[in-house]
Amino acid sequence: MDSALTDRLSHADPIVRRVTLLSLLDELDPDAAEPVLIAALEDPARDVRLEAAKALEAQDSPAAVAGLLKALEDIEPAVRAAAAQSLSAVKNPAIGALLLEQADNADAGVRVAIFRALRELRLPEATLQALKALSDEDAHVRREAVAVLGWLKAHSALPQMVVLATSDLDAEVRRAAVGAIGFSAEALVSSAVQSALADPDWQVRESAAAVTGKLGLQTLAPALIAALTDSHWQVRLKAAHSLGRLREGGAVAALCGLLFDPVSNLRKEAALALGEIADPASIDPLLEAASDPDPDVRKAANLAYCRIRALLNLV
Amino acid sequence: MAFNPIDFPVKVNLDACIADKGCTVCIDVCPLDVLAIDPATGKAGMKYDECWYCLPCEKDCPTQAIKVDIPYLLR
Amino acid sequence: METQNIEVDILVIGGGTAGPMAAIKARQKNPALKVLLLEKANVKRSGAISMGMDGLNNAVIPGYATPEQYVREITVANDGIVNQKTLFAYAENSYAMIEELDSWGVRFEKDENGDYAVKKVHHMGTYVLPMPEGHDIKKVLYRKLKQARVDITNRLVATRVLTGPEGQVAGALAFDCRTGVYTVIRAKAVILCTGAAGRLGLPASGYLFGTYENPTNAGDGYSMAYHAGAELSGIECFQINPLIKDYNGPACAYVTGPMGGYTANARGERFIESDYWSGQMMQEFHQELAGGKGPVFLKLNHLAEETVANIENILHGNERPSRGRFHQGRGTDYRSDMVEMHISEIGLCSGHSASGVWVNERAETTVPGLYAAGDLACVPHNYMLGAFVYGRLAGESAADYCAATEFAAIDAQQVEAERQRIFAPLTRGQGLSPAQVEFKLRRLVNDYLQPPKVARRMEIGLRRFEDIRADLQKMAVSNPHELMRAAEVGFILDCAEMAARASLFRTESRWGLYHYRQDYPERNDTDWQAHVQVRKDRSGNMQVFKRALEPYLVELEEAEKKVYRQLRIQPRQTNSSGDHYGV
Repeated sequence: MDSALTDRLSHADPIVRRVTLLSLLDELDPDAAEPVLIAALEDPARDVRLEAAKALEAQDSPAAVAGLLKALEDIEPAVRAAAAQSLSAVKNPAIGALLLEQADNADAGVRVAIFRALRELRLPEATLQALKALSDEDAHVRREAVAVLGWLKAHSALPQMVVLATSDLDAEVRRAAVGAIGFSAEALVSSAVQSALADPDWQVRESAAAVTGKLGLQTLAPALIAALTDSHWQVRLKAAHSLGRLREGGAVAALCGLLFDPVSNLRKEAALALGEIADPASIDPLLEAASDPDPDVRKAANLAYCRIRALLNLV
Repeated sequence: MAFNPIDFPVKVNLDACIADKGCTVCIDVCPLDVLAIDPATGKAGMKYDECWYCLPCEKDCPTQAIKVDIPYLLR
Repeated sequence: METQNIEVDILVIGGGTAGPMAAIKARQKNPALKVLLLEKANVKRSGAISMGMDGLNNAVIPGYATPEQYVREITVANDGIVNQKTLFAYAENSYAMIEELDSWGVRFEKDENGDYAVKKVHHMGTYVLPMPEGHDIKKVLYRKLKQARVDITNRLVATRVLTGPEGQVAGALAFDCRTGVYTVIRAKAVILCTGAAGRLGLPASGYLFGTYENPTNAGDGYSMAYHAGAELSGIECFQINPLIKDYNGPACAYVTGPMGGYTANARGERFIESDYWSGQMMQEFHQELAGGKGPVFLKLNHLAEETVANIENILHGNERPSRGRFHQGRGTDYRSDMVEMHISEIGLCSGHSASGVWVNERAETTVPGLYAAGDLACVPHNYMLGAFVYGRLAGESAADYCAATEFAAIDAQQVEAERQRIFAPLTRGQGLSPAQVEFKLRRLVNDYLQPPKVARRMEIGLRRFEDIRADLQKMAVSNPHELMRAAEVGFILDCAEMAARASLFRTESRWGLYHYRQDYPERNDTDWQAHVQVRKDRSGNMQVFKRALEPYLVELEEAEKKVYRQLRIQPRQTNSSGDHYGV
């Protein structure tokens, strides 16, 4: 490091020290810059510490991580947030244990960042802390903890996750949890998804409708058929899609009705689902839909019709 | 404006700008190299009317001193 | 003017998307190599993805698509004019690249179980992977460049590739757009990653920098490859995009499509089957406007509040984030208003269409030691992920090449001739301003090259371009920044001339609006199932010729071939334009 740089780093004016950090990574080798940045995390000036915390984003050496973890205790919220953000970008599983120690940090923003980092690392050893965080008082933290467990496809978490999916006070947590339990078709999941299909929030219902098809939850077909009359077309659309995946013959009449819904996205999805189910009863309505004003619907109806005809010829 | 009284897209808040202390972040990141230090003030400003309204200058400014407007011809 | 000399093993020109990847991969392949990444702007925020990217258009992810399916899809989308080997090289490396970028910290959309959330937008397969948190991608690349100890130089404008006695690469010439220092870079291999020719047509707004592409990308690499003797291909397959009117940026229908948004006519009805960008789609767009059902809009106002808020988050925070304030200024709210769209001016870009420097599956051009990757390399529809994959291929190929190659001698005459050419506007004192010459040139590009194309117009265009070539000798500037703009006018002119000559040569119509010849309205597979190549011949003239297609590795089924040609299942009811192509 040249002496001019050293002078700027120890300049009496904190703005000069800050500005020096801004270009440090351009001027120095990363290995030379890192200790300077870590030291700057202790600078008396808030903005200097802030810039150091930002510049250490994704640095995954033990020293950098230790420095950032310490910065999580900074008196300035902005510095804490920057340190948390920088830690959340670390992609090195070796630091998982260090991150886990901060899972009950007093600052909810920090906890969110920690769990976001842990989600990306997919560390099985994060399961216990994430389970604990499912009952965090902060909804954002619960949401991130759900993601950690969902990405791990943690079987042991299912009993608690289904509780969140059905009765968390926060709709986004319920929505995330319904998606996250979508890796297992066992009974407790199925009944949680069923109750989520009747959730007051449409996005939760939409997510539940999608999961039903993904998991092939045949027993929920009646609930999906009921969802074809949901007040939100987005829910109707996912329900139609899932009924197609389930090849649910009982849905043909209702799906044929949707071929003439005012929402063209929905008409298209209904046509595709009818193609999957391949009931001859849908041929006439599909032929009618093949002259829909919307070309995307026409294409879907034609595809569905061709598929059904091909299957019938095979039989 | 720093260089010219004409209404250019990149607006710099001279009170917040720390270019006079050596900061060149916005000048560095501009793809079209349209920003420069105004010798009169020591602050950053638009030197060439060639803005792509892409926003790195605004987003990367450490003191949030920049606001980019859509160029008049497109507004 | 002061001269600086640099010697490196590999010179990468362009630090946007493909360039950083090429430099990193060359260093990883052989850490002993000296690799220099040269950038006209600053690598931190340069190129097409300076503000990030909101999704992958062409992710080939196991379980959703296979390389064979993808190759078929692009073969059909590009009306058969592809070298399938290059498509395969992309498709087979696509997933590994996604995984690697993911491990570097680039964020792709995943579902609640951490699996990639792939969406269907294309006609046949499923390839769209959204990146709602894709705004940090340049930051990630910069970190990786530093870790790989790639040397970086910013604000250098490369103007010519230096060639050796055997026609091979010897280096490149550049100047600093702030200091004006002339720079001679000696290198065994040069990788061109300079992006699209995005400043070719003039936007309808008349604003020179109101382009879809990052306007830094003036076609520099197209021109440099041409003057180095490399073949270029598919230049007549223009890039024309459906863009937000006046703003001239993408509305990103492929982002909004999976959420229920779509491109609609004035009645709010969809009129194209797929929002995947293709020449055929642009032809549909053009006809809808001509048929009296326009203007064309992006329709989101039927979506739920939560969905619209999510879309705003993505579209106003990524790629072109100033979209949000543009709409605000016009009082356009996605909730209640449709967004007016229009047809852009023309450009050259293989990332979206097919026009580029000819490369093989190792990213080699026809000049030994010269490689190309990204928007300027002819790998049809290869988008951002293709730039990364071909960047990798170029970096690794160049590293191999260096191991078996010595430096070529620098030709002092080339160095001196370029110095005279490039710095002349600084010494003229009085003359034409580059901005005016550029405005006029690009206005002529609109007048004579914007499709529909017809021979007589393009011939007149060529004559007018010759006048502009004479005007290049009259430009005068007062500083290195303006000198950069003057150099760019030269690049733009070369691209315009190539675009005209290649378009004249292909006497058929193909690729929908991209190459719709009114005087040859039909597609003619008998004569034109071939590449059209452009090259500078030994006497310095622009030569245009056919290159036969390599045999396909994957055969197409009849039904597939028609997918893009017959987007419209029903015949049109209104068609006042009088043309019948593609109906």
